[in-house]
Amino acid sequence: MPDRFNAVAILLIGGAAALIVASVVATVLIVASNDPSPVRTPVVERPVQSIRERVTPEQILALGFGVLPQVVMPPDNPATAEKIELGKILFFDPRMSANSAISCASCHQPDQGWGDGIALNFGYPGTPHWRNSQTILNSVFHPKLFWAGESLGLEKQAKSAWTGATAQNLDPVLAEERLLQMPGYVTRFNDVFGPGAPSFDNALRAVAAFESTIVSQNPPFDRYIDGDQSAVSDAALRGFELFSGQAGCSACHSGPLYTDQKFHALGVKDPVAFVEDPLRQITFYYQNRKRGVSEDDYRAAEGDLGLFYVTKLDDDRYKFRTPTLREVGQTGPYMHNGAFNTLQELVEFYNAGGGGVVNKSPLISPLGLDAGEVTDLVAFLESLTGDPLIVEQPELPKYEVLN
Amino acid sequence: MTLRRLGAILSAVVLVAAVSVPLALASRSGAPESESQSTSQDQASPATAADILTQADLGRLLFFDKRLSGNNATSCSSCHLPDKAWTDGEALSTGYTSVEYFRNTPTLLNASKMPLLDWDGRFEGSDMATVVRDHIAEAHFMNLDGRLLVERMLQVPVYAESFERLFGSEASYGKVLNSIAAFLGTLESTDNPYIDFKAGDDAALTATEQAGLTLFEGKAGCSACHGGDLLSDGGLNVTGVPANPAIFSEPDRHITFRRFFKQFAVGNFADLRADPGRFALTHDEADRGSFRTPSLLEVARTAPYMHNGIFTTLEDVVRFYDAGGGDVPNKDERLLPLNLTDVEIRDLVAFLQRLGSDEPPFSAPEPSDLPPYELRTLGAN
Repeated sequence: MPDRFNAVAILLIGGAAALIVASVVATVLIVASNDPSPVRTPVVERPVQSIRERVTPEQILALGFGVLPQVVMPPDNPATAEKIELGKILFFDPRMSANSAISCASCHQPDQGWGDGIALNFGYPGTPHWRNSQTILNSVFHPKLFWAGESLGLEKQAKSAWTGATAQNLDPVLAEERLLQMPGYVTRFNDVFGPGAPSFDNALRAVAAFESTIVSQNPPFDRYIDGDQSAVSDAALRGFELFSGQAGCSACHSGPLYTDQKFHALGVKDPVAFVEDPLRQITFYYQNRKRGVSEDDYRAAEGDLGLFYVTKLDDDRYKFRTPTLREVGQTGPYMHNGAFNTLQELVEFYNAGGGGVVNKSPLISPLGLDAGEVTDLVAFLESLTGDPLIVEQPELPKYEVLN
Repeated sequence: MTLRRLGAILSAVVLVAAVSVPLALASRSGAPESESQSTSQDQASPATAADILTQADLGRLLFFDKRLSGNNATSCSSCHLPDKAWTDGEALSTGYTSVEYFRNTPTLLNASKMPLLDWDGRFEGSDMATVVRDHIAEAHFMNLDGRLLVERMLQVPVYAESFERLFGSEASYGKVLNSIAAFLGTLESTDNPYIDFKAGDDAALTATEQAGLTLFEGKAGCSACHGGDLLSDGGLNVTGVPANPAIFSEPDRHITFRRFFKQFAVGNFADLRADPGRFALTHDEADRGSFRTPSLLEVARTAPYMHNGIFTTLEDVVRFYDAGGGDVPNKDERLLPLNLTDVEIRDLVAFLQRLGSDEPPFSAPEPSDLPPYELRTLGAN
């Protein structure tokens, strides 16, 4: 019986595999005919018997995926152990907010995948945020940060967070004088940056250096690429096959970071809080004013315009940055406004062809995935998630009387 | 940082979480947060647009509204309390959450009439809107972005309608400032026994108080600077008031102090251990330690005294001047030892006690009088 059962199973799997390959090839042909984007699928000459033979490390690498590259810091901010340690202390210090109550770690919590685990970030008292808190994990690899790419690097992101009215709301000179009031900081700044009073710009450099160390910890799919066959399930590998094939995910979620670093409109619905919460409305309109939209756009504003705020190009309305999928298992809720709580919801959204919106990406259309395929895709996404990177809060320097 | 302060900060964090998370959940579950908010306030009947007849009426509500600070925790009235003659009764002001200030809160009574305002005279009473702007925007006071302020006004229909009606167009930062300035213009104190006495009512002051007045205008020489209708020359003087050591022994105050003088480009600001006063504006050594001559109207209600609240009682102040003021090289030449007797000091203090009105001329609205946030219709703002 076992033998016969195995034979039947092999036949079934083989048949299914042949079907999948056929559909992948068909998809490639269809897509290739009208889409110049670099969608690549395994080019398979003959039906193979096993998912592990179809999705090998070599094929994964050939498709442009892979393990993370080395961290490269900007030339004016090389990371040293002392600078990273200083940045870690600053990252956890709530005195880097106007009311001394909010640290970077308040919204980027190590045990919440370095996000905050809620749909819309809480922001600052009286001014709740309008978007989802993004993970710090692997942020060093992104040329642009924030959901609409507003920030060109970790140092600039930190400045926006420390000073922003919906974040830490801190005056930079007040920050400098607070740091000067703590000899524990002054000594560290002097060791890292040379003699002098702590400067806000150097604080930005230090916290960026620390954040550059917050990277993926050995996720299963990386281990599989490195040759560990036991690292991932067959379901995850089937999910990868869909990811890079029928589901078309890799059209945007490409490369070792699983992002094209570009911006796309998907039609994710705006949060009900924009309609039902007066405080979120204040923030929403404030953001439109602050980002300098026209008077007409301000009056008519109904939703987050994304990349348009940066470029002011109509073609960029409602476009948002493709986030990395690395560590996606620990960074929910998902999308720029936390519209989806689970990866399942996220995949179902794409399976249904996204939402309705102007400028919608032509890459988004109904996928026709069945329930098992959705499950496989989720299994793959989870395999991109490594061990939580827990950093304990360091001891913070204390204010002292300066004689 | 004291344990008490740490406790306060921790409570603030818990509060933020306790408020924000249920808010977020309530939004997601479709229960409008405004309903629960307005329910509690409906019972207390907040002001309606019909209650706001003038710009000063509007400014009065705004003066008491904590939504004019970055974190909704501080209003103008947090430091300018009506029942303390629009001061806070502290030697040194507090400020924004987790901030302590390094000067004394001056009264707002008659402020609009003063030529110069703030202890270093960097504002003018004729331009109260600028004073208000400074205080709303300053990181150490109310720390509120002006664009955010306007959106908060537009989110309160009673305010939004009132701005439209009283100014003829939509709420703006400038209109908020002008409304509060209009309210501040109503804070006057001109009625007191001294004025009655000067007007011919001999019974307005007792014999002791009259003796004090004689000293005030004569032997003690007070009226040389504290003369005229406002009992102030409207200028600035160096009197050598001793430094308040709390500014430098309390880290939160020292931080604010340094930031302030750093922004005025005062050299070696980190080494200062006394308030340079007017010097910060002029960078002229003659102005080091020069401060505004305050009005003495209502002085009995505005303790502690001097720019840094170093003196607790009027007797302390009188004894300071009796000794000829402080010990600084650029001190005003008119300040010399007065050789007052204890009886004369008593008389002078008795006179100073009568420079105020009988009762505080204004009351405060209750927090529940302030109109609530309501929802706007997206797309039709």
